[in-house]
Amino acid sequence: MTTTQTPVRTQPPAGLRAPGRVHRTSWPLTILLALATLTVFVPLYVTLSMAFKTSAQSADGNAFSLPAPLNPASFAEAWTLTRFPVSFGISVGVAALAVVLTLLLSSLAAYAIARNWSRRFFRWSMIYLLVALFLPFPVVALPQIQLTALTGLDNPLGVGILHAMFQLSFSVLLYTAYLRSIPIELEESARIDGASTWQIFWRIILPLLGPMNATVGIFAFLASWNDFMMPSLIMADPTLQTLPVVQNIFQSQFGTDYNVAFASYLMAMAPTIVVYLFAQRWVISGVTQGAVKH
Amino acid sequence: MSRQVNQSRQVDRHRGGTLSRRSFLAGSAAMVALGAAGCAPAARAGGGVTLRFYEQKQEVLAYFDDLLRRFEKERGGVTVVHDSTVAIAPQFVRNEPADVGCFNDNLELARYIKRGVLGDLSDLPSAHTVRTDIGELTDQYATYPGRTSVLPYSLAAAGVIYNKKIFRDHDLPVPETWSQFVDVCEELSRAGVTPIYATDRDTWTLWQGLFDYSVGSLVAPGEFFRRLKELGTDVGPDSEVSFEKDFAVPMERAKTISSYFNPDHAVRAYADGNLAFGKGEAAMYLQGPWALGQIALVDPDLEIGTFPLPVSENPDDRQARVNIDLGLWIPTASPHQDEARELVEFLMRPDIINAYNSDNLAYSTLQDAPPQQDERLAGLQEYVDRAAFYQGAGTFVPTSIPLGNYLQAAIRSGNFEGMLRQLDADWRRLAGRGATV
Repeated sequence: MTTTQTPVRTQPPAGLRAPGRVHRTSWPLTILLALATLTVFVPLYVTLSMAFKTSAQSADGNAFSLPAPLNPASFAEAWTLTRFPVSFGISVGVAALAVVLTLLLSSLAAYAIARNWSRRFFRWSMIYLLVALFLPFPVVALPQIQLTALTGLDNPLGVGILHAMFQLSFSVLLYTAYLRSIPIELEESARIDGASTWQIFWRIILPLLGPMNATVGIFAFLASWNDFMMPSLIMADPTLQTLPVVQNIFQSQFGTDYNVAFASYLMAMAPTIVVYLFAQRWVISGVTQGAVKH
Repeated sequence: MSRQVNQSRQVDRHRGGTLSRRSFLAGSAAMVALGAAGCAPAARAGGGVTLRFYEQKQEVLAYFDDLLRRFEKERGGVTVVHDSTVAIAPQFVRNEPADVGCFNDNLELARYIKRGVLGDLSDLPSAHTVRTDIGELTDQYATYPGRTSVLPYSLAAAGVIYNKKIFRDHDLPVPETWSQFVDVCEELSRAGVTPIYATDRDTWTLWQGLFDYSVGSLVAPGEFFRRLKELGTDVGPDSEVSFEKDFAVPMERAKTISSYFNPDHAVRAYADGNLAFGKGEAAMYLQGPWALGQIALVDPDLEIGTFPLPVSENPDDRQARVNIDLGLWIPTASPHQDEARELVEFLMRPDIINAYNSDNLAYSTLQDAPPQQDERLAGLQEYVDRAAFYQGAGTFVPTSIPLGNYLQAAIRSGNFEGMLRQLDADWRRLAGRGATV
């Protein structure tokens, strides 16, 4: 950290430019980035335009053509066919449960593990949790179906719990890495003031975990919101299915209702886009903060 | 001073405690609410019986919904929930199968038939109204001793879909023999028209069309696979039946047919095929009735006909490829056997089953069923009527043998003999470990 004494330090922070300095654009980089944005905008454009096409126009093979005539009826059809308010509500409930459980369980586990790293039991617990990263759901699908049925959890509640379980290993990994960067002195001073371990966790550690909470929460939300396979297998009552599973009715091996499907996907995408727009700052910062040890 | 600090900390701790407890309670309440929601539908019937009806063919979900509502109205006291879950296995794993199932009769369903989890329906009055030659088709995949496990509900017939206008413009007849078929293809090629549109990228379209049609009229798949199963690990170049020996001529046909494909067949998918054929870019298309709806989306007025692919010089050898698109079954584990049987009887009522099939481009399985009225399928009617049909050879090949991919490779290299040897080897391997899928 000797370089901190160099004149570079005296430069204004990034974002503010020194007055009078010529602003130079790196054209190759700009063009590259502009091209990169296309990977997002082109599919988004197709989704949008498809959703407003008539079924005849959506099947004509010109994905990029503008919808003419503009046909908003697909949204209404998708709304009733998927029973949108119901399945949307169930999806939200499952995702919320998964996020809350993931945040709570993995931060607690990570805290215990990070602060007791010297003990063998905790080191092994970490390995135990991490091993689950190598266990994809399809491998354990059938026993899970049987177990959830036996325990009466073959419903949204069970799916939410299972989502949290499968998110646990990755989240604990993120949390432990981040927790190591939180100075132990903070806890020691709190303990001198008479705080119990529980209080330290709630009042000091959890607030300090802020960026990582956002990261873990977003990953948990996206994983739960977009999951198709688990709810489709676990849920016993078809009327309680989550949105991605219900949306499957628009697609089969033999045919696809493109316009209705895309209208429905657009409605289902909305929450993820909103969540990401508001939280992307924390996702990026959280990932890098966990990666670097201060 | 220290007391003050202590006090405030106590207050804080107290506040913190209630807050977390409150949020915990709120969380539990939310979980209980979700759980209760999970139990709600079971209690919804209010005294009456609730049946679960499993049917997941997407094109007809709404159609069956209407039928179920009609049944509820006519029967009274029974509520029917329509289960359209894609995967069939979970409900059996859970030991909570739907009370009535309506599913494609294929190797997947065969597993359930073979293991006896589907009850006997032979004593139902409607079981005797089903055409026996169609009923026998269900036995080709699997049987359970002494049981009629599945009642065929809907028969789909497939052949070569052709563009009538292109045939008319070039003055071409509907081919009745193999050499006529080759002539037609030659003629079309000379005129600069793509004779056959193929979509290799979706491998199922290859075995469904090219493979099944080439085999079906020359080798009876049901009989061939029955003997192949008996041979088990003995299948080989010298065995009584084998892919290498029995499918040699059919695969010569397939090789010739594939030389008339569109040049970009390797990269085209099923949806591309429907679009191209709908736009009149090819004269023929080896697809079943399921493609007709998709083609109609592109051009609803396209003049389309269907004929069974001729693969020999005798016109009488021609047969149509059929499959039991939907069959009805009742699991033995269903607690509502009587009500389930009533529902099956309702669905098998001539007015209902015949209407369903004529409305959905399929054939009713009942004796004396009215013919399929759709122009596009008229060419296959006589074959269905006189039971000149076969279930596609590809449907007998378990999914652990990647037949579609083998076909892709064979079309590209022209080495169909190698593919047949590979199929024999794969069959031996599967028989050796007693695999069912």
